[in-house]
Amino acid sequence: MGDEKLYGYAGKILRINLSKGKIVKEDTRIELLKLYLGGTGYAARILWDELEKGIDPLSPQNKLIASTGPLTGTLTPSSGSVEFCFKSPLTGIFGQARAGGRFGPKLKFAGYDFLVVEGAAEKPVYINIYNDDVEIRNASHIWGKTVHETCKILLEEVGDLDASIACIGPGGERLIRFASIMVDYDRAAGRCGGGAVMGSKKLKAIVVNGDRSIEAARPDEFYEAAKEALEVVGRKRMDLGRLGTIGGLTRLNESGALSAKNFQTCYYEYAENLSGEELARKYLIKRRACFSCPIGCGRYVAVPSGPYATPPHEGAEYETTDMLGVQPLLRELEPVIRAGYLCNTYGIDTISAGNVIAFAIEAFERGLISEEDTGGLKLRWGDPEACLKLLEMIIERRKIGDLLAEGVRRAAEKIGRGAEDFACHGKGLEIPAHDTRGTSKNLAIQYAIGNPRGACHIEPLWSPLWDFSRAELGLRELGLPWPPPESRFVEVGVRRGEACRILWLFGELASILGVCRFALQGEENSIMTPRRLSALVSALTGWDLDPKDLLLIADRVYTLKRCFNVREGISRRDDRLPKRMMEPLASGPTKGQRVENLDAMLDEVYEALGWDKETGKPKKEKLRELGLEDVAEVIWR
Amino acid sequence: MLKTLVTNPNKCTGCRLCELACSYRHFRLMNPAKSRIHVVRLAHEPVDTPIYCIQCGLCINACPFNAISRDLKTGAIKVDPNKCTGCGVCIHVCPYGAASIDPDSGKALICDLCDGDPECVRICPENALLYLDADKAAWYKRITFSRLQRKELTALMPDER
Repeated sequence: MGDEKLYGYAGKILRINLSKGKIVKEDTRIELLKLYLGGTGYAARILWDELEKGIDPLSPQNKLIASTGPLTGTLTPSSGSVEFCFKSPLTGIFGQARAGGRFGPKLKFAGYDFLVVEGAAEKPVYINIYNDDVEIRNASHIWGKTVHETCKILLEEVGDLDASIACIGPGGERLIRFASIMVDYDRAAGRCGGGAVMGSKKLKAIVVNGDRSIEAARPDEFYEAAKEALEVVGRKRMDLGRLGTIGGLTRLNESGALSAKNFQTCYYEYAENLSGEELARKYLIKRRACFSCPIGCGRYVAVPSGPYATPPHEGAEYETTDMLGVQPLLRELEPVIRAGYLCNTYGIDTISAGNVIAFAIEAFERGLISEEDTGGLKLRWGDPEACLKLLEMIIERRKIGDLLAEGVRRAAEKIGRGAEDFACHGKGLEIPAHDTRGTSKNLAIQYAIGNPRGACHIEPLWSPLWDFSRAELGLRELGLPWPPPESRFVEVGVRRGEACRILWLFGELASILGVCRFALQGEENSIMTPRRLSALVSALTGWDLDPKDLLLIADRVYTLKRCFNVREGISRRDDRLPKRMMEPLASGPTKGQRVENLDAMLDEVYEALGWDKETGKPKKEKLRELGLEDVAEVIWR
Repeated sequence: MLKTLVTNPNKCTGCRLCELACSYRHFRLMNPAKSRIHVVRLAHEPVDTPIYCIQCGLCINACPFNAISRDLKTGAIKVDPNKCTGCGVCIHVCPYGAASIDPDSGKALICDLCDGDPECVRICPENALLYLDADKAAWYKRITFSRLQRKELTALMPDER
């Protein structure tokens, strides 16, 4: 086994224990790669094996893994991924967050598939990696600096302007539970509070560069597959590339799927003011792409002058614009761009930040928090000044900001008096800029199940592709039920269970293989379908993996992550939606929509996934099929 | 007519596929450090620019080992790996930072225009790289140099706040 040459991988894991100051390089284990392939799959296995149940995510017992997949850093389109995995301080379950940019590729070029950070330093440190040279360095002088300052200082300090940096801002240092890990200035591994995990380890930054090669097992075949995939995925340049993710904002509004006013409605009459066109007209400096991406959805923007003047940065993508703009009902882009920039450079997640701000406005409106709590600040819908001040209070953990920095679940519990009813989260993860009711029932199920990281629209996949967009994704031949229901609002009896299962497993491949989900989402002629992924992975690694093999691995990973969460105490009881999602939408084209029969939908999905309907645990025989007998022993003990 | 590699830097998004394609064409490996084209991204400035060899030939006479010559068919610089010692003089004289050293062999890497069919041009998803008849390409060079004088991009940048 040890003699087999690895293709497509770097072949090493870098393990750094900050408590002991110890740096170890180990071989990436081929037998594990064959089961989990890489990325969050391999990382999930490490966390399952090495984390004790019930540890405090902000203690030295937690581990932070920067993972890459076999496709990361290759000629595969959109392969600039790094996926950080850890136990989340926000949700208490499996945490994973992806960033683009080029950190992942650089880690591989330095010779490592994974970086595992353990323990905690006593004083602030950063890690500097160039190939085999790895150092833990003093970071006292940059502790307290913003993300942008940190990147600038460290690039000069290491004397390598082409290095990539993953770092935290003051948000992570202050253990804000939704602090992000920021990559290359503005690319965010935003969700689940990885930044707080770094902060708890006193790890300010990781700098990486290297000059090693990635080799394909069958080079000509790989190149042909990559060029075809680049051409296909490159077609997204015309929409996603042209206007960015924010380009979809007005379309969502027309469909009654633009979440607004702390999820009271899915329609916003001033959506045009916050559109991708408006951004391109007034604030876009240039488009930017992550490593090897032919789409280029990144927006390099600035507000040149005025009260919301904001330096150039990559920002104003859809999630940020909805959560920090539409949710609090702001009527112009400038304060939204400013707020997004502040989140980036102070290192907090724009989605969670927008969610808690909208929650706070509603709580204030209902008299559950007062001016005493806010330090005299009056919170109102549509007030940009108040939003920005509240954001600063969260960043500084001042007054009510200190409570909101704990995330919406903890804030609502503390406030009480019915605040939980409009705290919109799934398993503690703030619901993003898509509402289950206005979008589709697939999304309702996805938020409720919340595997692996809580209520998320895109992890493992934007599953409304099936019942909202009616896209096949090359999945029909693998069992995706077709056609989808005529209406996206039908709940049961339309094979949602089977549909969700296959969509999620397909999406899981993105984080396993190390590519951006956007390269997997869309019409069949504009994405990497299972067939295309299979051609790429097989030629790259030399292991012949057909689409079914890939989905089996994805199933193993998806199921293992659920088992991680089960071990932390998650069961069917937790597969819920917030009360708000069961109430009718207030206005717009989807007015009156609500989730009615969640339990019946969950039954269908559990059935399809091979999960026990009573407990929500993956069944023993399911685990045996996947070769996870050792895991079964733990969760069925 | 000879063809010339030129760039339209305004179109570059900084994806670096050109670097991967370059290293793949020459070595069948993916490694930006083995590329002969280099994308500069200054994350805090509006800069994503492919830096490429303009085939000026300054390195030819500078090479102390006569390892560098010009291919008359394509007009491209050729490095003779048997003569190259990796001394770095070509990199030293290159005004653009286009030349580099292969981390594996220790020899100079200078763009050879892929024998008249540059792989970077083929792969660029944005058409930021072009391979044109020399007289057509000259217009792009003129535009690039006139832009340098206008500094229009930096004027968009507000003060840091």
